[in-house]
Amino acid sequence: MQTTENKGLLIFFYCCIAVFSIICLVPFILAVSGSLSTESRIAAEGYSFWPRGFTFETYEFLFGSKAQQILRAYSMSVIVTMLGTVSAVLVTTAYAYVISVKSFRLKNFFAFFAYFTMLFSGGTLPWYLLSTKYYHLGDTLIGLFIPYVLSVFLMFLMANYFRSIPHEIVESAQIDGAGHLRIFFSIMIPLGRVGLVTISLFYALQFWNDFYLPLMLVSDQNLYTIQYLMYNMMANIQFLASGNAAQVGGAIIAPPLETAKMAMTCLTVLPIAILYPFLQRFFVKGIIVGSVKG
Amino acid sequence: MMQEATPETQGRLSPGIRTARAKSFRKSLRKDSTLYLLALPGIIILILFAYLPMSGLILVFKNYNFNDGIFGSPWAGFSNFEFFFSSMEDSLRATRNTVMLNALYMLTGTFFSVAIAIILNELRSKWFIKITQSVMFFPYFISWIIIGAILFSLLDYDKGIMNQLLQTLGFSQVDWYSSPWLFVIILVLANIWKSAGYGAIIYYAVLQGIDTSYYEAAKIDGASRWQIITKITVPMLIPSIILMTLLGIGGMLKGDLSMIMGVTFLNPLLLPTTDIIDVYVYRTAIRSGEFGFASAITLYQSVFGFILVLVANKLAGWYDKDSKLF
Repeated sequence: MQTTENKGLLIFFYCCIAVFSIICLVPFILAVSGSLSTESRIAAEGYSFWPRGFTFETYEFLFGSKAQQILRAYSMSVIVTMLGTVSAVLVTTAYAYVISVKSFRLKNFFAFFAYFTMLFSGGTLPWYLLSTKYYHLGDTLIGLFIPYVLSVFLMFLMANYFRSIPHEIVESAQIDGAGHLRIFFSIMIPLGRVGLVTISLFYALQFWNDFYLPLMLVSDQNLYTIQYLMYNMMANIQFLASGNAAQVGGAIIAPPLETAKMAMTCLTVLPIAILYPFLQRFFVKGIIVGSVKG
Repeated sequence: MMQEATPETQGRLSPGIRTARAKSFRKSLRKDSTLYLLALPGIIILILFAYLPMSGLILVFKNYNFNDGIFGSPWAGFSNFEFFFSSMEDSLRATRNTVMLNALYMLTGTFFSVAIAIILNELRSKWFIKITQSVMFFPYFISWIIIGAILFSLLDYDKGIMNQLLQTLGFSQVDWYSSPWLFVIILVLANIWKSAGYGAIIYYAVLQGIDTSYYEAAKIDGASRWQIITKITVPMLIPSIILMTLLGIGGMLKGDLSMIMGVTFLNPLLLPTTDIIDVYVYRTAIRSGEFGFASAITLYQSVFGFILVLVANKLAGWYDKDSKLF
């Protein structure tokens, strides 16, 4: 009796997890299927989980007429992600190292200096005005990543990694006459590489997915990232579909708008989907270390 | 420098130690200068994008114009607050939406994350856990724009899967994108879909750290699986749940602009429930240029948010001294 009850519950648990996992994947199947359907059948019959009239037309269309725009946005995203991640990791690890040096008197001050910004902020508006009017970050490449190069949360995560490195190693290096720069580059960075990989991945993901910065700072089409291009496509189609512009929208059916959105979705997710199986365990490790204590 | 030793140290220390001390002090100064240098880029970033924007809150008392900038614009006294109170209804709506959505995300998100973690903890098949955990974690990596695009294919009036499904089941179609209150549910579900797997990892990690002897003892006493969950696992998780919740309270007034933008595309029909404070500031200030007014909202958000952080911190301190944030 006892065991059948337990077994039943266990089967129920397996089902719950299986169902939720499937739900997590289904939307992507929908996107892939949409991107491989023909526009006319989507328009007539709607989206489905199985491609309606299997075709690569949409991708051919995107790589034909829109290739330049998409490639530009794609390379923009790649550049922003690379520049952003490299500079963010440098700035973050350097700061994290400073507050992890046990003998440094001002380490607590610097830690609080960073921490305070998590508690209190000026909000969107002063940030926007300063960035555009005083720092002139509007329509610049640097504006697409520089505001994000120090995530205080990831900085503290990194400092935790550095603190976990045995102090004796640092001490013996100091006795051998190594300065902080040398200790930082040839001891802390190699030994803290699990942490380094974790924060690099979080940063890379943030830069790849970000569309807040382009939304705030960019109007030049040459600087559109793939996410922002996607947003513009979605927002415009949405406006065409919603009432006020319907008289224009109804007539235009020439480009495969619906399937193009799905194809763009697939293209945007593709790099993440390809890298995910290899990188996923680092994220898990990173979260676990980060959540153990502040 | 070498002569700097104070009278009392002079008496006690031999000259050799004194010079050594002075040397080590100078050495540490020199070493510290490297530390300042290393921290410098971070300090500059924090000043530029966090501290100076805080000072930008004086905008509230200014009559902002683009030419004179934040600091050059003429003073306006409290007139921006009059604005703020004159459109109290919108401000309150934005506040209510922000708090309501965040509270719903927190409640449902915590519930699902904890449930998933508990269930995973019960399962024995290693490969099943690994695969499903990876799959459930995946949506966390997807931007809100992409989620918005996929959601559109689910919810579009004519072509969306949901309405097709409703029709085949014999119900009438629903216009999801013009139903503000239905959309609250959709946002909550989207949030669960995106982040429950991520949240579960944190709780799962806590459960992995529990001493297995508790479970063994319970099994020997003949406890059923359900009893073990409710009597051991859940109580073990409660401290983490409370801590995470308290941490969340401080962020109650922070909205996720990119979520709302990505999922609703600022559809005006949905604003009654999706107009969170950040969206409101974006609409009034950055799109329409009503800076003075928007700055009053921003100040209100910052101050109220800061009070919430202090309250949460106090509560965390009462609950457990180690949980205190500062």
